[in-house]
Amino acid sequence: MVRRSLVLLALSLYTAFAAGPFVWVAMLSLRTTTEIHRNHFAFPDPAHWEKFPEAWFNSNYGIYFANSLQIVLGAVAVLTIVGAMAAHCLARYPFRLNRAIYFILFSTIIFPPQITIISLFQILVGYNLYNSKLGLTLVYVAIQLPLTIYILESFFARIPQDLFDAARMDGYSDWEIFWRVALPIAFPAVATTIILNFILLWNEFLFAVVLITEETNRTLPLGIQRFIGDTQEDVGMIATGLMIAIIPVIIVYGFFSERLIQGMTAGAVK
Amino acid sequence: MPWGTIIAFLLPALTFYVALTAYPAFRTLWNSFHKVLPRRTEFVGLLNYEQLVRDEIFWRAVRNTITWACASPLIEVSIALLLAVALYARVPGARFFRIAWFTPVLMSYVVVGILWMWIYNYDWGPVNVALRAIGLGFLAKPWLGDPATALPSLIFVTSWMWVGFNMVVLLAALHSLPRDVIEAAELDNCGWGAKLVFIILPLIRATILNLIVLSFIGKMKIFDLVWITTKGNPLWATETVSTYVYKRAFEWTTFDLGYPSTIAAVWFVIVLTTVLLLTWAFRQRDRLEY
Repeated sequence: MVRRSLVLLALSLYTAFAAGPFVWVAMLSLRTTTEIHRNHFAFPDPAHWEKFPEAWFNSNYGIYFANSLQIVLGAVAVLTIVGAMAAHCLARYPFRLNRAIYFILFSTIIFPPQITIISLFQILVGYNLYNSKLGLTLVYVAIQLPLTIYILESFFARIPQDLFDAARMDGYSDWEIFWRVALPIAFPAVATTIILNFILLWNEFLFAVVLITEETNRTLPLGIQRFIGDTQEDVGMIATGLMIAIIPVIIVYGFFSERLIQGMTAGAVK
Repeated sequence: MPWGTIIAFLLPALTFYVALTAYPAFRTLWNSFHKVLPRRTEFVGLLNYEQLVRDEIFWRAVRNTITWACASPLIEVSIALLLAVALYARVPGARFFRIAWFTPVLMSYVVVGILWMWIYNYDWGPVNVALRAIGLGFLAKPWLGDPATALPSLIFVTSWMWVGFNMVVLLAALHSLPRDVIEAAELDNCGWGAKLVFIILPLIRATILNLIVLSFIGKMKIFDLVWITTKGNPLWATETVSTYVYKRAFEWTTFDLGYPSTIAAVWFVIVLTTVLLLTWAFRQRDRLEY
């Protein structure tokens, strides 16, 4: 019994360590910088909710948020369709070169991003896509495609072949088999990749910082970075900005925690 | 084989892959033998590579990155293993703990970076406040501003972020173990420590090795956290290869994209080789044991 309580105590301490910083930033986000400088660790009393609309409207967080949403949702939509098509094809048709293509796509997961980023900058400049939301969206599709195909392929491959044979007897075309049989059955895996890609791209920073410079096209991570550059000392307002970036992630996590954990850990467990 | 269908299904993905991954990668290799200025490109042969060999900042960045990539997996996986084993013993509230511990990894490095800059703040950061409160004020320091502590402090941040992730994966591996094996060990009056070392560890070896490789790859790529917190300062103490490539390509006023491409190409080969070697070494040992 004593040992059990000790374990529980250790676990609780670790939980405080892991989650504490977020509780702290949540408290800071509801306090003004003057209040914060009086005491950095007090509860928000009174809670300054008005700081959120202030950041949203006066510090461009509304624009950053809308940009992030547009780019990330666009990329996730394309990724899901394009990735699912490729994964279905690789899982279902045992053609020559099948494994070679799979391996080439999959091996890009370990590429350090530097190998493409400088050239991507040149290419996007060449096609007038530099500093545009469309350009970043396309790049986001490309960087998440290997992981998406990897997760979906392993799921598609487990769907029994009989199902497809039956569908073919019923006169389904190849496309209908994909769209009306494979995709609905694979829905859990598809949902996992959607949520996973959403979170990873929502947080993406390196490609955004290289490919976007204009204020009106900045995503949230870039906006926050610019904001700390401008207002080093305004801790209260920065915290509010951080919360604006954190809240969507927390909401998605709240609804889909199990699915998200599954997706994140898919690559690590054989 | 229905080649038409196969091509139709694969074409969109392959187009993205060729246009925005394969072609840029080759173009970077091509760049690495050139001087690439905004208006003109000039073939320079191996000049960039010669310069790279003598570039002390580059080697400093390599040392920092490799230190990071070697320290992190060990710290993360060992702490995660202890926590996972503790949780495995059917502690109440396991689900809650699981969800709470996983949270840091879902946050962007930008958020985490700013948060930890505050935590390490000299005047009012919780670390120094706590040290002063327990009478160890002489240990208080600007953690990210001191060349001796900057890199370890950042390594600590990534560990904070990733331990939960590793723990959840290990827990899943533990739960998929055959229960009778562990129960048999209990019947044999096997203590917890012995059970961990002789039974559990060998059974989840594959997962542990995967996590080590995964963590290693992640740290070899690290950029965001450094860029937000220290930008490689102080005195290149936290410079990583990624931040150095970025600086040479987009910050320094040399305007040459050729040299940073050379760094990227060399680093690409180093990462690829070490990852392949790691996987190969782990495989070899597996084979020997059976």
